[in-house]
Amino acid sequence: MTEKWRLLDTGLNDAFSNMALDEAIVMARSKNLVPNTLRFFRWNPSAVSIGYFQGMEEEVDIRACDERGVDYVRRRTGGGAVYHDRDGELTYSLIVNKDHRLISDDFQKTYETLCSGLVLGLRRMEIHAEFKVINDIIVDGKKISGNAQTRGLNVVHQHGTILREVNPALMFTLLKVPNEKIRDKMIKAVEERVTSVNGYLKRNVTFEELKAALLHGFEEAFNIELVPGETLDSEQQSSVRLQMEKYATKEWNFKR
Amino acid sequence: MRKAEYKVAGGKLIRVQLVKKETMIEKVKITGDFFLHPEELIEDLEEALVGQAINVSNLDEFIGAFIKRRGATLLGASPEDFAKCIIMAAENE
Repeated sequence: MTEKWRLLDTGLNDAFSNMALDEAIVMARSKNLVPNTLRFFRWNPSAVSIGYFQGMEEEVDIRACDERGVDYVRRRTGGGAVYHDRDGELTYSLIVNKDHRLISDDFQKTYETLCSGLVLGLRRMEIHAEFKVINDIIVDGKKISGNAQTRGLNVVHQHGTILREVNPALMFTLLKVPNEKIRDKMIKAVEERVTSVNGYLKRNVTFEELKAALLHGFEEAFNIELVPGETLDSEQQSSVRLQMEKYATKEWNFKR
Repeated sequence: MRKAEYKVAGGKLIRVQLVKKETMIEKVKITGDFFLHPEELIEDLEEALVGQAINVSNLDEFIGAFIKRRGATLLGASPEDFAKCIIMAAENE
């Protein structure tokens, strides 16, 4: 019998509850309250997330974000600063027991295995995606997805983004640039190095179509069946607590 | 406060903020888009670096040994990259 995982689609939420729910699912998984889980989610309002090791003020133009009502949050995972546009990006999380056959002690290997679901999903849409060391997925040499992983409580947690549309000019309004002179250069570099689902396919791909392709990609790559489910009340409660005590606090977001 | 940025071959960026006392580290903060597992070790590492002599081979060895001792994994940067960026910060006024 095919192994069953839970599929969650939590829709649009703010940055703090999005990051809190990821960690709440990790906690529930570690207590064996829930199966391995694939979660799709989006960001409303649009938000910037930074990697665990980044300095908030080094990376994010706080004033520009505040003026536009864009949230900013520190992730529990490393990696770089990401602009999550409400309508331009789909985010996923995988929460998997560390003893699972897909998980290796080698982080690099595990990135490649877990990203293979996205690669197959994108290929189903005729996007010729491939994994690129350390944590990216590229198509025609251009990045279309960034991913970040952490582990703890005997659980592996990987989340990442799939770009549906890309707006480098807005990105570098919200993220800090070393100086104004090179802003245009950086925008140009992103235009050259980053692509998106809509941009590559030259048509408007809906979130529903994108999610359907990706979930089948994960099922095929992992040899699993994804069963639509709900979050537990206890996950919701932990999420609210983590949001209040961690992800929405200045202590956490500005700690580095 | 002295600062430096160091781009690792392959893409990750390391930033260092440093206060030095003669030839030693008084305070250091290492930020960037690399991966260290477990994440919380970065603060321990920064504390452990206080009092260390600022030269590449010492810092490379110290950081490498710290990571090994704590069973940590550093991805996207090496102990030597951290060491180099600290030296660059020390040389910046």
